[in-house]
Amino acid sequence: MLLKNTYNEFIKILSKPRSYLGIGALTLLVGIIIFAMKADGRSIISFVTSSFEQTLTFNGDVLNGNLIAFIILQMLIVHIPLLVALVTGDLISGEAAMGTIRMLATKPISRTNIVLSKFIAGAMYTLFLTLWLGFFALFVSRQIFGTGDLIVLNSDGLVILQDADILWRFGLGFCVAFLSLLTVSTLSIALSAFAENSIGPIVSTMAIIILFTIIGSLDVTVFDNIKPYLFTTHMASWRSFFENPVPFSSIIQSIVILVVHNVVLVAIAIYKFNKKDITS
Amino acid sequence: MMKKFLTLLIIAIQFGLIAQEANDILSQVVTKLNTVNDYTVTASLKANIPMIKILPSKATIYFKQKDKFKVASKGIVILPKQGFTEINGFLANKKSYLAVAGDTTKIGGVMTKLITVIPNGESNEIILAKLWIDTKRALIMKSQITTKSNGSVTTSYSYSDNVTYGLPSELVFEIDVKAFKLPKSVAADINKSTTEKKTKPNKKGVITVTLTDYKVNTGLSDAIFTKKK
Repeated sequence: MLLKNTYNEFIKILSKPRSYLGIGALTLLVGIIIFAMKADGRSIISFVTSSFEQTLTFNGDVLNGNLIAFIILQMLIVHIPLLVALVTGDLISGEAAMGTIRMLATKPISRTNIVLSKFIAGAMYTLFLTLWLGFFALFVSRQIFGTGDLIVLNSDGLVILQDADILWRFGLGFCVAFLSLLTVSTLSIALSAFAENSIGPIVSTMAIIILFTIIGSLDVTVFDNIKPYLFTTHMASWRSFFENPVPFSSIIQSIVILVVHNVVLVAIAIYKFNKKDITS
Repeated sequence: MMKKFLTLLIIAIQFGLIAQEANDILSQVVTKLNTVNDYTVTASLKANIPMIKILPSKATIYFKQKDKFKVASKGIVILPKQGFTEINGFLANKKSYLAVAGDTTKIGGVMTKLITVIPNGESNEIILAKLWIDTKRALIMKSQITTKSNGSVTTSYSYSDNVTYGLPSELVFEIDVKAFKLPKSVAADINKSTTEKKTKPNKKGVITVTLTDYKVNTGLSDAIFTKKK
């Protein structure tokens, strides 16, 4: 029954025009970035490496598909949560707003399973969005720009990774990026259980992400103790796969914190939905 | 008056002799380097540069007189901006610099003579070059080149099979990295707090280039140097 309901939920997601908005926006944004990099990529790269190039020369093809994929991921992973929340924030509250929640509750399925099926359907949509991004970012970029070593710029300096050593990093990076987006999805579903309209959970999700991100970026010692527990702190942990050596312990810690967030948020959503008065 | 004149004359002669000695040594080095019209060599590169993490890589280096130089590689390789061919070209034009002989120093068990080379013109990119030369074999054992725009690069040379051509088997570049700055807008990592203790980066970076499988004077085509890197 859970699987059947999950299938139904997924069909519901597919039937909403807003679900395609995210995919369309993502395709357009990736297209724009690829076009911009093709047109003026070298000057963008030289902006990053100019300080080093006073003393050193970088020989080889720096502007390649792997770098474009990394840039796309870095740019878009910040904005995709909005596209995810746009769909998943509507999953429970949308039913309440349209008045279909009562009909849903009369089905021979527990309320817990209804929430779980919505969570799984939301996760599937998030996965599809992540795969779509991965396909465009990596596959299309590599087709257009070719492959090559990847230069990654982080706050400690440059890391240059060899071409043969990159794909697995992207693979695992996408998995962690998916987990981050899944947390956003679960958060919006949990907030959706509290609301009677779609806008509230979507805006609240984004507000929480913005708030947590600001707290995370503030260099104030008073926040140092809470920063490690904010899910936004770990949303960029996919980037750690592009460090050398890979800090696996910190990535595992991030995964654990994100998983805990997901479990807690699903539990809150189940609790709230089970207590929800659908008769009035 | 006569005493002063004689003193100045002696100093001038002494300086002239020092300059002559330096020019002779450099002339021998240049003669040796000029026996190489072109070469191809496989380079294995190891870089230990603060703020840059890169695994050892391989490249093929092409050189043709007078100043054609190309590095071909499958991946990204980092090399110092100067140090491979600039000094050869600079030394070849004897009228463009003034050379002064200095102390003798032992480098790697080899007795070397320090030759300081100062360019005559203002337009030259090189401001000062210090060369430690093995006078017996006419080989540069160490160099320190200071340029207008790129700071100083110190290079240590090791020789093996191609010593007759004056071609090194290993070059160790020591570069100044104090000028490295990351663009904040790109490098900013919102999750990394500046309250974390930051280790002070080293001021020197080292690039070790091991050169093997030289192919000397094979008549390299100019087309190699014009092709896209």
